[in-house]
Amino acid sequence: MRATFTRHAALLQGGAFILVLLAGWELAAALGFLRPHSFPPPSRVAQGAWELAVRGFPEGVRVWTHALVTLRRIFSGFAIAMVTAIPLGLLIGSSSVLERLTHPLITFARSVATLSLLPLVIVWFGTGELSKTLLIAYGCFWVMLSNVIAGVKYVDPVLIRAARSMDTPVGEIFTHVILPAALPRIFAGARTALGVGFMVIVGAEMIGTIEGLGALIMEARNFYRTDVTIVGMLLLGVMGVGFAVGMEALERRLLPWHRGLAEVRR
Amino acid sequence: MSMAAATPAKIEVARVSKHFGAADGVPVLRDIDLSCAENEFVCLLGRSGCGKTTLLNIIAGLTPPSAGCVRVDGVQVTGPGQGKGMVFQQNALFPWLTARGNVEFGARRGGLGKAAGRRVADELLELVGLTGFAERFPVQLSGGMQQRVAIARALALDPQILLMDEPFGALDEITRLDMQAELLRVWSSRRKTVVFVTHSIMEALMLGDRVVVMGDGGITAIHDVGGARPRHRSDPALITLHEQIWQGLH
Repeated sequence: MRATFTRHAALLQGGAFILVLLAGWELAAALGFLRPHSFPPPSRVAQGAWELAVRGFPEGVRVWTHALVTLRRIFSGFAIAMVTAIPLGLLIGSSSVLERLTHPLITFARSVATLSLLPLVIVWFGTGELSKTLLIAYGCFWVMLSNVIAGVKYVDPVLIRAARSMDTPVGEIFTHVILPAALPRIFAGARTALGVGFMVIVGAEMIGTIEGLGALIMEARNFYRTDVTIVGMLLLGVMGVGFAVGMEALERRLLPWHRGLAEVRR
Repeated sequence: MSMAAATPAKIEVARVSKHFGAADGVPVLRDIDLSCAENEFVCLLGRSGCGKTTLLNIIAGLTPPSAGCVRVDGVQVTGPGQGKGMVFQQNALFPWLTARGNVEFGARRGGLGKAAGRRVADELLELVGLTGFAERFPVQLSGGMQQRVAIARALALDPQILLMDEPFGALDEITRLDMQAELLRVWSSRRKTVVFVTHSIMEALMLGDRVVVMGDGGITAIHDVGGARPRHRSDPALITLHEQIWQGLH
C-alpha cells in the first residue's frame, strides 16, 4: 500500500517535472528566446500532430498509416529474426563445438551497426519492402541469437546434475530442464531485439517510401517541419515504451516463477 | 563379480581413487574403502575440499571413479538412478515447477504414472509438512522449505539410498537445527540407507550412526556414534566425541 503510494507519488513528480520543462520551453519561444522554426514549442508540435491526424503529411498519408506501416515492418523483421534465431540459438548453445566455431562471427556481426548495411542491402534487394524488413531482421537476429545461446549455455549446472541424479534421459533434460531454464533469457533477448527494431526502423525507412514514421521524419526534414519531426519521434518513443511494457507484462504472465531477471538485464 | 560379500553391504566403496585432469595429477581421492549397511545413516565429515562431495558423486554415479568401483547390493554402479536419490546443497529445485511439480518430477522419474505421481507427491509434501504450499514456486518458499521439497523430490523416486550433499549447509543455524530434527522424523518413517555429507561436526554427531572423517583425499577416522535419536547436544558422550574428532582434524 505504502510502496504503491510512494511509487505513484514518484511518477507524479516526474510527470510534473516534464510539464514544467515544457511550459518553460513554451514560454521561452513566446518571449523570443527560441526560434520557433528550429525549436518548435509544445503548442506548435500539438498543431503539427493535429494536422497529421486530420490532413496527413504528406497530404493524404495520415498518422495512423505511418504508425501502422512502421509497426508492420518492425514486426515482420522481428518475426523473421525470432523464427530463425531461436532454433539456431538452441542448436549452437547446446554444442560447445558450434559455440566455439560461431562465437567470433556472432560477436562481430552483432557489433556491425545495422544501418551501415543500408547501401549494401539496397544494392542486393532494392529499395522495396524486402530491404526494410531484412534490415530490421538483421538487427534483431544477432541480439536474439546471442541471448538464446547464452540462455542455453548458462543453465545452472546444479539443475542439470539434479536431473541427471534422477536418471533423466538426455533428450528429456533438454526439453524439461534446459529449455525452461533458458526461457527468461530468451524473453529478455526478444525484448531487447524489439527495442533494436524500433531503433533501426527510422534508418530503414529513409529510402524508397513515403509511408512509415521514419519516412515521415525524413520528409518533414526536407520541408523544414521540425514540429512534424518531433511528432514522429514522440510516436516512435511511445510505441517503443508501450511494447517494452507489454513484453514485460507478458513475461510476468508466462513465467510467473521467474523474478529478478528484469533487474539484471544486460 | 566374483566376490559376493558374505555380510551383504548395501553400499560398498572398493579402492576408489579419483583425480581430475591429467592422470598424474594430484588425486582428490586415494584408495577409499567404505561400506554402509542397509538402513544405516553414515555421515561424511571433513573440511571443504577434502573430497567428500566427490566421493558422494561417485557413489551417486554422477562422476566415474578413476580407479576402483562402487557396488550397491553387490552390483557395480554405472550411472545415476538405480535406486539412489539425491539432495543437493541449495537451489537444485526446478524454479519453473511448483513444489508439487518438483516432487511429481521425481515420482515420474521413479516410474509412476501421472495420477499415481500426483498422489505420491501430495503424500510426500504432507510428510515434510508442506501440504499448504504445494502450489508455490521455489522462489516463494524459504530456504528450509525448499530443502524440504528437495528431500520430498528425492524420496519420490522411492530410492533405497538417499545421498545428501550438505543439504542444510546454506541454511541459517536455527533452521538448520529444525531441519536435522525434521530429517530424522522423515527418516524414521521411511527407512533408507543415508550417506550425508557435512562439514559440521555436531550435525554429523546428531544424525549419523557412524561418522566417517575425511582429510586429504582419504579416510582418517571412523567413529561409531551410539545412542538413540533424537540426541541431545549436551550429552557428555557426544561432547567427548566432538572433542576427539576436533583433535583428530588437526
